[in-house]
Amino acid sequence: MEAMGIIFSNIYDSNMGELTKERTSGSIPFGSRYRQIDFALSNMANSGIRNIGIITKYNYSSLMDHLGSCEEWDLKLGDDVRFMPPYATGHNGSYRGKLEALQSAMSVLHHSDAEYVVLSDTTVLCAINYRLVLEEHIASGCDVTVVAKRGQTNGVRKCPLAVKLNDDGTIADMAVDYCAPEDYLIGMSMFVMKREQLIHIVQEMVPHGRYHYERDFLLPEYMAGRIRVNVYPFHNVALFNNSVETYFDNSMALLQEDVRRSLFRSEVPIYTKVRDAVPTVYGPNGRTANCLISDGCHISGSAEDCVIFREVDIDEGADVRDSILMQGSHIGAGARVRYCILDKNVTIRPGVRLLGSREHPLVVDKGDTV
Amino acid sequence: MQFQKKRCVAMLLAGGQGSRLMVLTENTAKPAVPFGGKYRIIDFPLSNCVNSKIDTVGILTQYQPLELNEYIGNGQPWGLNSSHGGVQILPPYARSKRSEWYKGTANAIYQNIGFIERYSPDNVLILSGDHIYKMDYAAMLRFHEQNESDCTIAVREVPLEEASRFGIMNTREDGSIYEFEEKPKKPKSTNASMGIYVFKWSVLKKFLEEDEADPSSENDFGKNIIPAILNAGHRLFAYRFKGYWKDVGTINSLWEANMELLGDEPAFDLHGSKGHKIYARNTAVPSSFIAASAEIHDSLVAEGCNVEGTITHSVVSTGCTVGRGAEITDSVIMPDVVIENGAIVRSAIIAEGCHIKAGARVGDYDPEQERRITVVGKDKLIAEGSVIAAGAIV
Repeated sequence: MEAMGIIFSNIYDSNMGELTKERTSGSIPFGSRYRQIDFALSNMANSGIRNIGIITKYNYSSLMDHLGSCEEWDLKLGDDVRFMPPYATGHNGSYRGKLEALQSAMSVLHHSDAEYVVLSDTTVLCAINYRLVLEEHIASGCDVTVVAKRGQTNGVRKCPLAVKLNDDGTIADMAVDYCAPEDYLIGMSMFVMKREQLIHIVQEMVPHGRYHYERDFLLPEYMAGRIRVNVYPFHNVALFNNSVETYFDNSMALLQEDVRRSLFRSEVPIYTKVRDAVPTVYGPNGRTANCLISDGCHISGSAEDCVIFREVDIDEGADVRDSILMQGSHIGAGARVRYCILDKNVTIRPGVRLLGSREHPLVVDKGDTV
Repeated sequence: MQFQKKRCVAMLLAGGQGSRLMVLTENTAKPAVPFGGKYRIIDFPLSNCVNSKIDTVGILTQYQPLELNEYIGNGQPWGLNSSHGGVQILPPYARSKRSEWYKGTANAIYQNIGFIERYSPDNVLILSGDHIYKMDYAAMLRFHEQNESDCTIAVREVPLEEASRFGIMNTREDGSIYEFEEKPKKPKSTNASMGIYVFKWSVLKKFLEEDEADPSSENDFGKNIIPAILNAGHRLFAYRFKGYWKDVGTINSLWEANMELLGDEPAFDLHGSKGHKIYARNTAVPSSFIAASAEIHDSLVAEGCNVEGTITHSVVSTGCTVGRGAEITDSVIMPDVVIENGAIVRSAIIAEGCHIKAGARVGDYDPEQERRITVVGKDKLIAEGSVIAAGAIV
């Protein structure tokens, strides 16, 4: 029951605005100390998958820097984990969908002797045991298993993949890019299938202009009755970071205990790069309320309802609320910040007022001084 | 096996029983005792080695080595996982005929002459695993080489009235040592040995062998090796160290050293830029959650905590839970401790894995009286509503 893994590090980059200006979606900081790819990679590592290909497009130097030699995941770069930079197809090193992207993974797919392959991207964050998915996939006898989540559809938001299930768990309807009603499950961009079959479809479909996994392979092949599809409903917390707004909301969701309990379980830890930061220093007059806060910070001012990454300084008299402060941010004395996402190493000068809104949080670019 | 020649190999004496730390070292070697929220004592000398570009470190263990071995592992957190040197745990090993415990600090090094010889180093740095400090051993090594010293001993200035508690080095103007006095009644100077030595390896090896052959020797660096080298007329130098240094061998000094991390200008600042950091084995825990009901002032809190109560002037380590209405004051909370709702902890050290149940009171401090530190040993359960008096060791 050997499986290998493929991680798409930068599908949907364009939806994330400024946050992916200089990085792939996989290296977007999330949850006060992680990068989004940490979840996908940790899930695979925790599920015993030791042969993982990471497909990158552009802007992947921050990702490589973050993963280093992968020792935090108890994996070895080069042996267990391989980076697959863009396959040179003559169109600017970019690709138009997962199937086309998989062209750069062909050598890894060919060289593996695993029977199955687990596909994941880095925008859906959860703690999932792929062993269970794999077991169920094999028991189902289907060609593809789609991991999906109930309760995320509302008839308004467009889902890249939506499925409706019959009472017996079989599929009643499948749709792509669909504003699915509430009784649909949304695909979590995680799939399990046989490795040989994946090689086959990439080889057959991409030359025929079929680049999208869901739109050009999964849906038409299913509708034509050529493949059988199993749905694995995921019952724990899954956070879909597919826009700046959902990124903000999902970050704030981490302030809820049940969300943290589901995402951060000691038996399936989420690993990340170690930074050897000192424990956070709380000053004599600081105030911290309802915050998720990492190591290396100095809290002399006030922080409320915030997600605070490593090495953030909040000076005396500063007041930060409902915001995400990425690594190395510095809030000057007396500054007021509300509904903001401060990218890495942002400096807010003393006394400055910065106000976004819940619906449209203000994003300050990496390294900027305001 | 023979490796490329090294300029300096470090040998870290981590075998001490640490009996003055009482319950804290019941099942833990002293160097593995947690410190400063996310560190262990041994992280300090180890990080100093790495920051001083010393890439080969032998760790001599003896007493309760299991936890320490596990903690050090392959040395990766300190960047000491190189195949050419790196970190190596050196327990006393069973030879063909006799299996020997380390009889003393000098004997521990003597038994590992083979390890040191593999690197044929010019110098050997001897360190101890129970001091908290940041020091550039490379600067000491340069001093040692520039003075063509056979043995260089790091010293620090202590108040004259305390000098009789230490090994005192009496020096000439050029820093060379003419006399060594162990705990002198009438100290002539205030240069106290820090237990950090650089030896020319050829010299140390000879004296280790002679010391081993002497059945009356206690096989101790301070008592036997240093005086012997001095009496033989070798060049010994004292290297002045000016920074923070603390022997955390007692409950009080361990508590004090933790408290000295706090404040606007802490006596010992853990922070450092790249190349001056203290490295530790990190655990994969999420960030700390600080609830709306929490109050944290003048404290250090590491990752993986869930804080709903009040923390004042304390160090709270990785993975702790502080319940609603709980109050922690002037205390050191080691990793993975649960302090339930309404429990009160004052002037105490709570060891790893303890569970203080709701409403319990541990320790106390009356400003009118001398502070007495309360200690709760590893994995202890303090029952609901119970009271542990100031100065109690549980």
